[in-house]
Amino acid sequence: MNLRQKLLLLLSLMVAVILSAVTWTVLVQIRQVFEQRDQEETALFVSQFQREFQHRSAEVAAAVDRIAASERMRNVAFEIAQSGDAAPYVTEAQTLAQDAQLDFLEVTGPDGKIVSSAQWPARFGYFESYVWADQATFLKTEDLVDGSSALGIFAFRAVGRSDSPGAQALILLGGKRLDKAFLADLPTAPGMQIALYRHEDQAPSATQQGHLGPDMFPFDSKRLIGAAGEVAHADRYGPLINSAFHSGQQASAILYLTDRREDSVSATAIPLKGESGNVLAVLTVAISRGGMVEAQRQIRDIAYGVGVGGIVLAIVASLWIAARISRPIEQLARAAEQVAEGDWDTRVAEHGRDEIGVLARSFNHMTGELSAQRDRLVQTERVAAWRELARRLAHELKNPLFPLQLTVENLVRARELPDAEFDEVFRESTRTLGMEIANLKTIIGRFSDFSRMPRPQLERVDANEALRRVAALYFPASMRGVEQKVDEKKLELKIDCSLKNASEPLWIDADPELLHRALSNLVLNAMDAMPDGGSLTLSAQARQEDVEIRVEDSGAGLTPEECERLFTPYYTTKEHGTGLGLAIVQSVVADHNGAIAVESREGGGATFVITLPRVDGSIS
Amino acid sequence: MFRQIAISCLLTAMALPAVAHTRPHYGGTLRVEVEGDPWQRPGGLARQLVLDGLTATSVDGNVRPALAVEWKPENDNHRWQFKLRSDVHFHNGTLVSSTNVVAALTAICGAGCPWTTVRAVGSSVIFLSDAPLPSLPELLATDEYRIALSGAEDGALPAGSIGTGPFQFVSFSNGVLLLAANDNCWQGRPFLDSVEIHAHRSIHDQWLDLSVGRADLVEVPAEQLRHAHEQRLNVVVSGPASLLALTVSDTGVLSNANLRASIAYAIDRSALSNVIFQKQGEITGSLLPAELTGYSFLFSTERDLNKAHELRGGASSQQLTIVAEGGPEMQLAAQRMALNLRDAGFNIQVASSGAAQHVDITLRKIALESSEPGPALELMLRKAGSPAPVLEQTPASLYKIERQILDAHMVIPLLYLPCAYGVGGRVRDLRLRADGSPLLAGASLEDAP
Repeated sequence: MNLRQKLLLLLSLMVAVILSAVTWTVLVQIRQVFEQRDQEETALFVSQFQREFQHRSAEVAAAVDRIAASERMRNVAFEIAQSGDAAPYVTEAQTLAQDAQLDFLEVTGPDGKIVSSAQWPARFGYFESYVWADQATFLKTEDLVDGSSALGIFAFRAVGRSDSPGAQALILLGGKRLDKAFLADLPTAPGMQIALYRHEDQAPSATQQGHLGPDMFPFDSKRLIGAAGEVAHADRYGPLINSAFHSGQQASAILYLTDRREDSVSATAIPLKGESGNVLAVLTVAISRGGMVEAQRQIRDIAYGVGVGGIVLAIVASLWIAARISRPIEQLARAAEQVAEGDWDTRVAEHGRDEIGVLARSFNHMTGELSAQRDRLVQTERVAAWRELARRLAHELKNPLFPLQLTVENLVRARELPDAEFDEVFRESTRTLGMEIANLKTIIGRFSDFSRMPRPQLERVDANEALRRVAALYFPASMRGVEQKVDEKKLELKIDCSLKNASEPLWIDADPELLHRALSNLVLNAMDAMPDGGSLTLSAQARQEDVEIRVEDSGAGLTPEECERLFTPYYTTKEHGTGLGLAIVQSVVADHNGAIAVESREGGGATFVITLPRVDGSIS
Repeated sequence: MFRQIAISCLLTAMALPAVAHTRPHYGGTLRVEVEGDPWQRPGGLARQLVLDGLTATSVDGNVRPALAVEWKPENDNHRWQFKLRSDVHFHNGTLVSSTNVVAALTAICGAGCPWTTVRAVGSSVIFLSDAPLPSLPELLATDEYRIALSGAEDGALPAGSIGTGPFQFVSFSNGVLLLAANDNCWQGRPFLDSVEIHAHRSIHDQWLDLSVGRADLVEVPAEQLRHAHEQRLNVVVSGPASLLALTVSDTGVLSNANLRASIAYAIDRSALSNVIFQKQGEITGSLLPAELTGYSFLFSTERDLNKAHELRGGASSQQLTIVAEGGPEMQLAAQRMALNLRDAGFNIQVASSGAAQHVDITLRKIALESSEPGPALELMLRKAGSPAPVLEQTPASLYKIERQILDAHMVIPLLYLPCAYGVGGRVRDLRLRADGSPLLAGASLEDAP
């Protein structure tokens, strides 16, 4: 990962972390605020419901009071008491209920038998089984003609007779329904939905309540009625309502009416208890959480937007920072690589006065100094090389020139000698002159050859074959497999030469003659290094994409210092020699895009390793 | 002497108006108010005034000639021949003939007639039936088989409104049906010039109109008779005119005779009679009233809840449906029946008439349309949905038939109820037939010009 990517990642991470923290905090706060608001609204509604309930109860009680106190009712009580016949008044309750706008009204005799019932006229003569309440008004479930039942607020009053007000003749039980009309009258806040739930069967008594499981009264979603009728997704309210029924205590929960969070509600179930303490119905108050969810969604959207913007900003910033910082550094890095590859003339742009600018200037100064030092070094080496060349040339030329000089001086002196002696000296001297002149020509020829190393004429050459040719040249007997008696005078016979070729051709692009010359120089050097004999191993093998040719001798070996200078022209460890042999080998190898190296330690022989690029067997 | 003559003249003069007062006057419009549809069939008041049958029921409940002057059975009551009255015209002037009588009868019941064939032969109408019809004359006297001229109405008259009755259809608009006297009625012109029937008036409004003189004849349901008396209404009451009964299906779970018997034992007739019908009904366990047969007491009317439970035993609690035909008092009675049956362990629901897809028990009123026991029983059974000819007319055989029918518990008699009407002060000579319907053709108005 480069600096630019690291910067980008770091900046993006910072933006994301900060934004996430802020968003999470805001969302939590919003949820808490909304939940508190919901609780307050629910509490307010509960108090309003209680007020409305009390108001409705007071209405019922007042209506029943009016009926009980009416002259008509007193007369009825009197007539019934007098005649004992309640039959004429079987429909009385209906009329009275209609006038008083009550949903329920029953007139019961002192014996508990129903005289008249507004909600179920046919029940006359049946006993009213209800246990009279201590409170003025109370909740009660009333059975209806169609087999169903209804919940209502009830009040009961005793009716005295018109002739004897103190005597209780009849009992009135009147009430109003607690139904969706009642719910519609309740004041509700926007987003609030109220509903009423009753079980079909008789609700458990207060003593039974805590001992019955929720499954005793399975939830029927059709019996949850709101102000507008059936409640949507009523089945979701089941567990909450059953909990309130079972425990007799108010219960609250978050309900998810659908799969969407916007449709969730904060619901509270308020048990409505009858006179005996049993839960007759449950009032549910549900406040939509849509607003909170919407606010949270908006905040999240804003957070995402800001986050995306922040990351874009981070990208822009990182690009700008990269332009200011990482690019110069990258340029410096590339320039350093170029310098390592040898291009010491590499320069980088210098911008600004900051640390990057200082670094760039320092780098340019460094490369400038390196170039100057290299030039000086090259110059020095060139001078040194010229001096060495001159020294070697002088040394080489001096050798044959001294005998030439002596010979010429002898000839001059021999002129004084008799003709016969002069002739002898003349012949000897001319022979010596010829030899030394030939030697001079040889020396000059070598120098000339080194200075004019020809360009290689590349051909597809098998390295194995090149080695074999060299070995056959210097160790013909070994190549033929003929055991020959060691001749102390012939060095090549004292050296055991072995050839290790690869099993398959090792094709290289090479100039066969130059290669032969290079290998010959190495073989000759190896032979010179083993004056008392030894072993010489010639091997070639494939090394991935190269061909490795090894010339290994068991001679005296080389010191590390000798290894460093070995390929320098005119450097030699031999008493005789031009010092150009290995330089020629190195030049040939370099011209073939190869490399040469030496592995040696003093007393342990030396191995020259030539590495050349391998090619496939097809004709190049 | 002069003094005596003067006193005599004075007394005579005082008596004259009285004499004049008792003689019916022609003219005037009788204002009648009803709760239902006066043109409904059967029992619509207007139909009884506009249409005649081949026979008619007299005030004493006996069948008498109407459009037919005589009739005779043949072939053991499998064939009847009714000779038509001559020179009788429909309200539009069409002569009543056997052809249009046959057409009218065919239009009434089509393939569902009690007889197999009816045809016109000369001035007679011949009835042929596979089963004997001993009570065909009484049957033809019922409201259902009144003769109307079919296919001759113009756009202004409703179908089946051209008859031969003492009054003819004039108009029906805004809930007011107007009938005018038929001057050429074969029975003679009625005293009244017209009858104005206000339909769909509640009982309360009817009584109010009667009390302020806006109505001359209003309905008084049996259960409100007591109340009418308390309000000092002038009420005419008939004898037992209709039987309040339960008809029980014999299909489904009620195919079990024990269950039907259990239903019969569970019913509390006294609550019905004493409270719902305000002691105006006569508790009965028989189909025919005691006045006709004398053996009504042989049929038990007591409620036996233990017996009901025992007969019901462990039968399934499949829900039964009870429906009441009629007004609010019938609905109340049905609700009371339902309570009684729930006491016996039945799972029963009261349904509105027409709303229930399957009805197990029906509470209905069956009119007593003859004062002859045999025909009365046969007509009653026919109305109850169990048509069967009553061939034997002796009390013993009638009892046997009733016992057989009632022991099947498909008809459970409850109460006999009268019919009653509130009558205005100016109405004279209003009488009720045996079936409780008013005989308006013979009524007159006191203040008619």
